[in-house]
Amino acid sequence: MHTAFHSKENWLHKVNPSFKLICITLLFLFVLTIHNLNFMIMFTIAIALLFILFTGQSLKRILLFLLPFMLIFLSTALSMIFFGKGETTLFKWGLVHVTEESLFRGIHIGFRALSFALMGLTFALTTRPVLLFYSLMQQLKLPPKYAYSFMAAIRLIPIMIEEFQTIRYARKVRGLQSTKGMNNILKLSISIPIPLLSQSIRRAFRIAVAMEAKRFDSSVKRTFYYKMRISPYDFIFLFYFILLIGLAYFIAFNHPLIPVTDVRY
Amino acid sequence: MRKGLKLTDILVTIVVSIGFGILYKLWGPLYYAVKPFGLHVDQLIYGMWFIAATVAFLIIRKPGVALLAEIAASSGEFLMGSEFGIEVLVYGIVQGVFAEIILMAFRYKRTDLMVISLAGISSCIGSLILDFYKGYIGDLETWNLALYIGFRFIGAILFTGVLAIMINKALERTGVTSLLRPGSKDDFDALNQ
Repeated sequence: MHTAFHSKENWLHKVNPSFKLICITLLFLFVLTIHNLNFMIMFTIAIALLFILFTGQSLKRILLFLLPFMLIFLSTALSMIFFGKGETTLFKWGLVHVTEESLFRGIHIGFRALSFALMGLTFALTTRPVLLFYSLMQQLKLPPKYAYSFMAAIRLIPIMIEEFQTIRYARKVRGLQSTKGMNNILKLSISIPIPLLSQSIRRAFRIAVAMEAKRFDSSVKRTFYYKMRISPYDFIFLFYFILLIGLAYFIAFNHPLIPVTDVRY
Repeated sequence: MRKGLKLTDILVTIVVSIGFGILYKLWGPLYYAVKPFGLHVDQLIYGMWFIAATVAFLIIRKPGVALLAEIAASSGEFLMGSEFGIEVLVYGIVQGVFAEIILMAFRYKRTDLMVISLAGISSCIGSLILDFYKGYIGDLETWNLALYIGFRFIGAILFTGVLAIMINKALERTGVTSLLRPGSKDDFDALNQ
């Protein structure tokens, strides 16, 4: 979450959160229509550039973030590469059957997962949740009772984590720490979440009563402490994608790296 | 009674779901850790991602709760910087809608294992439809695809159905659920005497 890292703020942080969310959701749908591997790779590079250059993170941290992405790429791609349909056999070993078609399709899916991960993390790193919900209320007319509930719930996360620690210490003190054997693991997986859940529900109930008393559920027109607007930064954001996706399209179709036009079988 | 969800219902649903969102965030690495075992064993634990909807519905038992829960859990996971990125948000919404449809079909009256498992299976179908477009799973070898779908259904029933019912039973024993549910018929009868 943004609050966990202190980073340099730049234009990406100033883009209206609702607008940013709508844009990347549309990009998600757009990616589902890409069946050309060359275009998919170029598209991913365009998103990666945004992530590396404009999230305001240090290079060290960016490399740290990229590490699990490689794992995602591999694990998403592998089952399609090994077990996908195809005709031109490259390699066969037992159940594993790698074909040229399945190889390219696997890589395509890998890049897809990578581009979704990059878009999501770019959003999470450059958006403060509080401003997101203020913007959802003001630009997209989300009812305040939902938005304030979300904000309250997000504030409760650190308390939940603290409580989790407390429960673990309490179990340790009582000598219930053993995690050997399947039976114990099962017991553990029920005995920790239940007190966590019940305490959270009690706390949420108390907070809700207080919020109702303060008329957070009223539908009368509210005023807002943070005023969210559409600004020129939103147009920069939009133009970035139009420009780079256009460029990606141009490169992919004029100078293709791989002679594959459609990865579908 | 006023129409729709009260602020209490909304806040409790969202708090519980954000809790599940944290779990989902931790579930991601686990999912990738079991993946190398191959042959879609990872699909067996996929069902955990549908659980917020059914647990929240079992606690609150009102229309719209399942959908709200799944949206809240996925946005929690998303805002914490999930490895799956924007994908979780879209999947969460679709899975929530599919679970909600089943619960609606039973008019939000049934809370037995069968209906809750059906809601899980419905979410599972929603996720498979998205996988069909996103992951080209239709282009897997047929035996492999059957394994993939079969394991995911089993996982959906185990986690979303059985585990959710177990959690709810344990929660009922703690007494918190009585805070949230409107008084039962017995309570009103007791008042009339």
